[in-house]
Amino acid sequence: MYRSQKLALRYFAAAITLFGVMTAAGLLSALYYVDPSLFYNVFDFQMAKILHIDTLIIWLLMGFIGAVYWFLPKELGREVVGIWIAEVLFYVFCAAVVVVAVVFIVVQYGGSNQFSMWFINQGRKYVEAPRWAAVGIVVVVLAFMFNVTATAWRARKMTGILGVLILDLIPLSVLYLDAFPQLTNMSHDLYWWWWLVHMWVEATWEVLIGCLMAWSLMELMGTSRRIVETWLYIEVMLVLGTGILGLGHHYFWIGTPQYWLSIGGFFSALEPLPLLGMVVHAVYDAGTHHMKTTNRPAFYWVLAEAFGNFIGAGVWGFMMTLPQINLYSHGTQWTVSHGHFAFWGAYGCGVIAIMYLVLQQTRHATAHFDSRSWKWSFGLLNLGLVGMVGGLLVAGITQAIYERAQGGSTLQAFVVASENHWFQSGMYARLLFGIVFALGYIILVYDLLAIGRRAALAAPAQVASA
Amino acid sequence: MTYAPLLATSAALGLFVLAGGAYGVLYAVSAARLSSSLERVSYACYAVQLLLVLVVCLGSPLDWPWKLFIAASGIAYGFIPPATWRLLETLHHSRAR
Repeated sequence: MYRSQKLALRYFAAAITLFGVMTAAGLLSALYYVDPSLFYNVFDFQMAKILHIDTLIIWLLMGFIGAVYWFLPKELGREVVGIWIAEVLFYVFCAAVVVVAVVFIVVQYGGSNQFSMWFINQGRKYVEAPRWAAVGIVVVVLAFMFNVTATAWRARKMTGILGVLILDLIPLSVLYLDAFPQLTNMSHDLYWWWWLVHMWVEATWEVLIGCLMAWSLMELMGTSRRIVETWLYIEVMLVLGTGILGLGHHYFWIGTPQYWLSIGGFFSALEPLPLLGMVVHAVYDAGTHHMKTTNRPAFYWVLAEAFGNFIGAGVWGFMMTLPQINLYSHGTQWTVSHGHFAFWGAYGCGVIAIMYLVLQQTRHATAHFDSRSWKWSFGLLNLGLVGMVGGLLVAGITQAIYERAQGGSTLQAFVVASENHWFQSGMYARLLFGIVFALGYIILVYDLLAIGRRAALAAPAQVASA
Repeated sequence: MTYAPLLATSAALGLFVLAGGAYGVLYAVSAARLSSSLERVSYACYAVQLLLVLVVCLGSPLDWPWKLFIAASGIAYGFIPPATWRLLETLHHSRAR
């Protein structure tokens, strides 16, 4: 195994740990909705929420980085250039995440000034990490870019997937610089902040997961490189074609010019179309292999990714993306419902699929890589997620009706909607299914530790007897 | 917009995409299994999608350019599954040759 691949395993371990923190913080956030006085002035709601949404970003990012470090040496047939930098930065990255989380928990409120921005909290959703940590993330991403490009350069080899990946790393790192400006005009600030949040999630990350899925499909199903690369080019073209200007659906109500209503609505409405193509592709691949594979967990998680992405981003997104409806739905739990479903479908399932793919190889379980527990975790995680987004949808629609359409978005209307029994039922449902999801996570961790172990133990014995 | 058309339009748009997805999945499964009955069910899903286009165009408070756009994308949905399938088959067959 290459050193880069050993590093990938460490990244996966960190990612799955942060996935757990995200789940725990999410459960806690759900509890606050049914008992708002819980841990009042001890551990406030906003801290649980910050931990929930920031670990969401970091666990997926670590999963992506780990996956690239796993596939890159296989793709190029050599060790990653400057791997020691990546190894050192992995520990720096983990230490920084821990320090930032501890600071968030210890310092929960107070004034904001240059000191708090640099050392406590930048105060912008998803990129709350203080500035020193944001600089650290830039360094990690730049080193990651160096590792990838320098390895391709040294190997004198360039493949289609790798070319797309390298091109994607440029906007991935440049867009993060939008975490830095200190704009005092809120419209200007949100305008650029959405470049980071939307363009990462609905453009550069989509391309990145497309590259990773291309490598995964080659290994999982033996699909030829030419096919996955052709498909990758088409998908990238369609996703970027609709996703970049789909940014406009975040510009409806932040003080930007009116033309964004048309641009945002039009391109957002086109976004489900490439996702439909992906679903057809997934069925094609599953059909040509008659649902047979040596790695069922990875295979089913790949299928869940295709379907989850279509339903979460496509169906849930289209329900609320046109400006006439978005006027009532934005900022309600309806949006939260869409966000949960889309993130899970587009990225969460994909990262878990890659983890199973990698474990099959590290544990030499080439013939039989199966267990009962992966089915339980697959079922509970997806049931929990669907239940949560269902509960959030009910709560969100209640808000859209009673707070927005009838109440005129006043504070009083917000309170009335929050006390409505449909809203509260939705929140209880979210909590209940959140517990189901957490159970699924625990079983997932157990399965990732246990699956294929027997084959791994048998492999050295077989070598010895041979 | 009052809450009744808000809910109805939103539900119609969500179901519109869902019906498109069901059409795509069933079309692909029918093509993989060479099942004409499944193919008919997939076309029924597409018919439901077109029906939802009518519901949006006739019953929603959206302006006419949006209605036109929904109608155009409803037609586009009809072509995506067969076109994708044909592309995938061409790719795989050219590889086999």
